[in-house]
Amino acid sequence: MAVNEDGSLNRDKHGFDAPASVDHPARTNIPDGHPAGPAIGERLPDFVLPDAQGRKVDFHNDRGGAKSAVVFYRSAVW
Amino acid sequence: MRDAYDKFQAAGIKLYAISYDDREVLAAYAEAEEIPFPLLSDIDSEVIRRYGILNTQVKPDDGVVYGIPYPGVFVTDEDGRVLGKFFQNNYKKRDSAELIIDAALGRVVLSDDAPRASAPEDDGIKVSATFHGGAGTLRQGIIRQIVVRFELPEGLHIYGQPVPDGMVATRVEVSGPPGLVAEAPILPPSTALQLKGSAVALQVWSGVVDIRVPIHANGILASEVRPLDQDSAKITVDVRYQACDDITCLLPRSETLTLELPLDVSDVPALPIHMGHGQREGRFDARSHMKRLMQRKGAKYRDL
Repeated sequence: MAVNEDGSLNRDKHGFDAPASVDHPARTNIPDGHPAGPAIGERLPDFVLPDAQGRKVDFHNDRGGAKSAVVFYRSAVW
Repeated sequence: MRDAYDKFQAAGIKLYAISYDDREVLAAYAEAEEIPFPLLSDIDSEVIRRYGILNTQVKPDDGVVYGIPYPGVFVTDEDGRVLGKFFQNNYKKRDSAELIIDAALGRVVLSDDAPRASAPEDDGIKVSATFHGGAGTLRQGIIRQIVVRFELPEGLHIYGQPVPDGMVATRVEVSGPPGLVAEAPILPPSTALQLKGSAVALQVWSGVVDIRVPIHANGILASEVRPLDQDSAKITVDVRYQACDDITCLLPRSETLTLELPLDVSDVPALPIHMGHGQREGRFDARSHMKRLMQRKGAKYRDL
C-alpha cells in the first residue's frame, strides 16, 4: 500500500506517489520513443464499440463532422 | 474531463473515452460519477492494440491489469485527423482538459477567473502570467500551464533566440517549492525579421504572444497517499524581454510575477484503488466489478 514497511513511500523516479508498489505492472510508464499510436495528421482508424448502454458507437459517423477528443484510460474499476 | 465537459461542448469537441472495462461497470461508473459522454467498452483491447498503444510491459499473466493502454488522448479535427496527442512519460501525468481544448482550437483560451498576476503596464506593453487549466488548483501529476502573455502595441516586437550581442531575447522561467516541476517553455511560431546591413535574420513576435510553461506537482509537493504538508504553493515567474520597433529599442525589462496556488486535496488516501482511491469523493465502490474483472482476466490480483 501507500507506505512501505520501512516507512518509505512508494515514490517513483519521477517523484510520484501511488498506492500500488513501484514495480506493480499497473504503474509501468510509456517507454521513451514509443510511437503511441497514429501520428499527427493521420486520420484516426475507424472503430465501432458499445457504450455503457450497449449502443454501438461508430466513431467517425457518431462525430458527425465535429472535432473530437478520444481518451484512452486504464480502467473504471481500479 | 467530466468537470470540463461544458468547455468541450462550447468548443464543439465531441468526447469519447475507451477502456477494456465491461459495459456493466461503465454503466455503474457513468451513473455514480455523472459522466455525460460515451464510455466505450473495448473489452478485448482490440482497438487499444490496433492503435498501437497497448501497454506491452504488462504481461498476459499479470491478471487484471493485462490489456490496459498507455493512457492518453488524441484530438482530431473535423475530418478525424490527429491535431494533437497527449501521451506522457508517466502514467500519473495527465494533461488538463483545457490544454486539450487549446490543441483542438489552435489557440490558448484563458478563463477570466483563472489565477493571474500582471505587471504594471509600461509603454503600452502588458505582461501577465495566468495559471491555465482546471479550477486553479495543483494536483499530483495533472499538467497545467503558466501562460505568460505579452500584449504588444502595434509596431513593437520582442525577440526569440538567437539574438545578436547587446539585445535581449525573451525568457520565461517558472520556479516553485520542491516537487513543483516546470518543463521547457512552449514558444509560439516566430517571424523572421531581416535587419538592414545584417546577415542575421532575427526571430520576432508581435501582437499577442503566449509563452506556455507546462507545470505539475509530484508527490513531494502534492502526494495522493499522505496528508499534504501545505495548503498552497507559491509560484514565481521571472520574465525578461526587450521590445523594439523597426528603428529603436526600449530598455530591456525584467518582471517577477508571483501566484499563490492552492493544492487540491482530492483523493481518498486510505482506500485501495478499486474501493475509492483516486476519486474526488470516493463514491464509486468497484469491489463487485473487480471480482468480475478477476474472473475475466485471471485471478492474479497483485495488490491493487
